[in-house]
Amino acid sequence: MSAFVTLTHARMAWDDPARVPEEASLDQTRELEKFLADVERRAFRIAQVALRDADDALDAVQDAMLKLARNYGAKPSAEWRPLFYRILENGIRDLQRRRSVRKRLMAWLPGPKEDPDGEAQDPLDSVADGGPDAPDLLMQAQAMQQLERSLRGLPARQREAFMLRNFEGLDVAETAAAMGCSEGSVKTHYSRAVHALREQLGEVW
Amino acid sequence: MNEDELTPLELQSRRLFDASVERVDMRVRSRLNQARHAALAASARAPARFLGLPAWTPAAGLGAAALLGAALWFGGLPGQHALTADAQAGFEDLEIVAATDDNNGDALEMLQDDLEFYDWAAEHGAEKGVEKGVMADGNSVG
Repeated sequence: MSAFVTLTHARMAWDDPARVPEEASLDQTRELEKFLADVERRAFRIAQVALRDADDALDAVQDAMLKLARNYGAKPSAEWRPLFYRILENGIRDLQRRRSVRKRLMAWLPGPKEDPDGEAQDPLDSVADGGPDAPDLLMQAQAMQQLERSLRGLPARQREAFMLRNFEGLDVAETAAAMGCSEGSVKTHYSRAVHALREQLGEVW
Repeated sequence: MNEDELTPLELQSRRLFDASVERVDMRVRSRLNQARHAALAASARAPARFLGLPAWTPAAGLGAAALLGAALWFGGLPGQHALTADAQAGFEDLEIVAATDDNNGDALEMLQDDLEFYDWAAEHGAEKGVEKGVMADGNSVG
């Protein structure tokens, strides 16, 4: 029966070739939406750790989504993840560069100086009100803040390798594609990052 | 990265990160949602691709066809020579000479007879001279 249905569908597609690209395009759009929905919050957090600003992180993620959808939406879905993170990392670097130029300019102008550490987040801000797990959540939030501070102290390439491999779970090849470097470089950056974090935080903090 | 292969530090980092993702607030979630829909709308507006070919392929194909058409119209492709009028006349002469006529024999034989006659006439004209009113074979005219 199912073979008959498949054949009937194939026959319908044969009779009306316009259906095939249309349906394929719809499937691709649905798949792209699912991919973006899966990745958006993690990407936001990765950008936020690197940029220390929620609005800048949102801008970076939004830009990466737009570029991926517009330029690479027709590519096979298996290629989206490394492409998306490559676009995102490029966007983060651009924003950091712009920010450092702005900071240098501001240093020449009179007026209140920016806090060199950016806005210091209160761990309580990210914890939901009340609830039985509030103390645990607070501890988690504090530990995450410690980790973020240590990550910000790492060289950019080490931080990228650590976040893509550890946070996002990309394999070495995908991370290499996202960072635009060799797999050997990824392994080196990652192991140096882990070593540096262990020195700063201990094995479990 | 498989969790079994992770050191305690790596495992702890990953769990903390996952927990922080869960705590992303509603304002950010809403903005990410809007950004996703904007990206999908932009992707729908992007020029469609057929078989993965770039969008400019049809234009390039039309341009190449126009160039080829112009090249053929204005004297053929480079390296090819147009058939000149002289060459064409030569071909036509050859066709006439080579053509056979079933009633009068081979055209080549006729041409050879004519040539023999002209040769003979030229020799006699040179040796005896041709006087006015007398043909080359000595018969008077009129």
